[in-house]
Amino acid sequence: MTALSYSYYPGCSLHASASEYDLSTREVFASLGIGLEEIPDWICCGATPAHNVDELLSLSLSAKNLELAEQVPGDMAVACASCFSRLKFAQHILSENETKRKLVEKAIDAPVHLERRVKHLLEILVRDYGLEQLATAVKKPLSDLKIACYYGCLLTRPTDVPNLDCTEAPTIMEQVMEAVGAQTVAWTHRLECCGANFTLSRPPVVQQLSNAVLESAKIAGADCIVVACPLCHGNLDIRQKEIEGVYETSYGLPIFYLTQLVGLALGVPQERLGLDALIVSPQKLLRDKKIN
Amino acid sequence: MKKKKMLLSQKTMDLDMVRKVEQLSGTSVRRCFQCGKCSAGCPMATFMDHPPNRIVRLLQLGQWQRILAGRSIWYCVSCETCSTRCPNQVHLASIMDALRKLSWDQDGPSKESYVQLANRLFLENIRTYGRQYEMRLAAVFNVKSGQFLKDMLLGPKLLSKGKLKVFHQKNKNMAEVEKIFSRIEEMRRKGEAL
Repeated sequence: MTALSYSYYPGCSLHASASEYDLSTREVFASLGIGLEEIPDWICCGATPAHNVDELLSLSLSAKNLELAEQVPGDMAVACASCFSRLKFAQHILSENETKRKLVEKAIDAPVHLERRVKHLLEILVRDYGLEQLATAVKKPLSDLKIACYYGCLLTRPTDVPNLDCTEAPTIMEQVMEAVGAQTVAWTHRLECCGANFTLSRPPVVQQLSNAVLESAKIAGADCIVVACPLCHGNLDIRQKEIEGVYETSYGLPIFYLTQLVGLALGVPQERLGLDALIVSPQKLLRDKKIN
Repeated sequence: MKKKKMLLSQKTMDLDMVRKVEQLSGTSVRRCFQCGKCSAGCPMATFMDHPPNRIVRLLQLGQWQRILAGRSIWYCVSCETCSTRCPNQVHLASIMDALRKLSWDQDGPSKESYVQLANRLFLENIRTYGRQYEMRLAAVFNVKSGQFLKDMLLGPKLLSKGKLKVFHQKNKNMAEVEKIFSRIEEMRRKGEAL
């Protein structure tokens, strides 16, 4: 097998509030021998605010990123669920709608590049690297850990675009977690919204929606939640304490990025996975479960 | 506006604007048969004055002004559940985008100005820095919305965890980013853009 190698689009959050996601992604890829080279000068994908009010701008920003990606060979590896969704949406719309494609080409003053395959980390681990191979690379299986896999919105929805997995009953995240030895729980809110970018403009909405997610994971008996999106992480981890205050309850659920848990199972020392950046400390849980 | 009695006639039904919504969103409102599945799955329906299925019904009847006068479009969180579950492939999440764009372009008074403010600051940051500058986004939002103490307790914690970067480096290709924004503005002025 030829060595896998990807052009990496981290996205804005991974260079700031989700730096531990970036750190652990690099560690996991290095540990598995998968190449990962960051696209020079990538720009913001526009996320929800851009497509909310200006589709042309949103499509142009993604088209510019696809153009910048031409500098680095290999399929595009994307960690953030929102960036992943925007890039896939742009490719889909620009390949189907000629009017919009022409407008975007005018805006970026270059032809649009639609050939490059955009892949989420989960896809790379499951379909390119392979679960069997991943399982054999595990040094410290997460045997006693009961995990609630949280997909949120944009990894799987809508039907025709990201095409990562089934929209109503995806299993791709569970597959990865089980391959590294963990147990996954069945729970009700794994596809519900956490409140997303209302975290800035309307925190009470986020508190209500994220509370339902945390409550459901707790009821299902999970020790922790694993996510693949910086915004979900921010809402469930950073806001967890205030949610506990508002709803007069106690969850104490550590929220991990998927690469942090895969990294732990691969034997990467926890200081290199940014576990100290988590607001809800996972230390007691990891000690209890004798991980690391 | 939104509670006013609805009289339907050629005069009160503005279907041109509805066609524009269909063109922008790439989806047809006429396919909807009002099963209500979108509203059933919508996490934000309880916050809305018009639930998602009624938005489509109002569009079918050419009543887009009623929608823009309400707050529903600014309470949609773009989770894509409605589009995913629609049995008739009505892409309601894209319709919401198109309606927000119409409202945005008119720049009229909106009851949901916090969301508009957050969107505007987010886009300004891209134009100035090339990438999102989260610290500035949160700080300027609080100042401009007059909520100086909002999330104050989170700030120091996030700083100590390295989650808020105080200094932010601009991209090297800022000139190209600026050109994308200015070309789009130019196209808008000339009426070439959708």
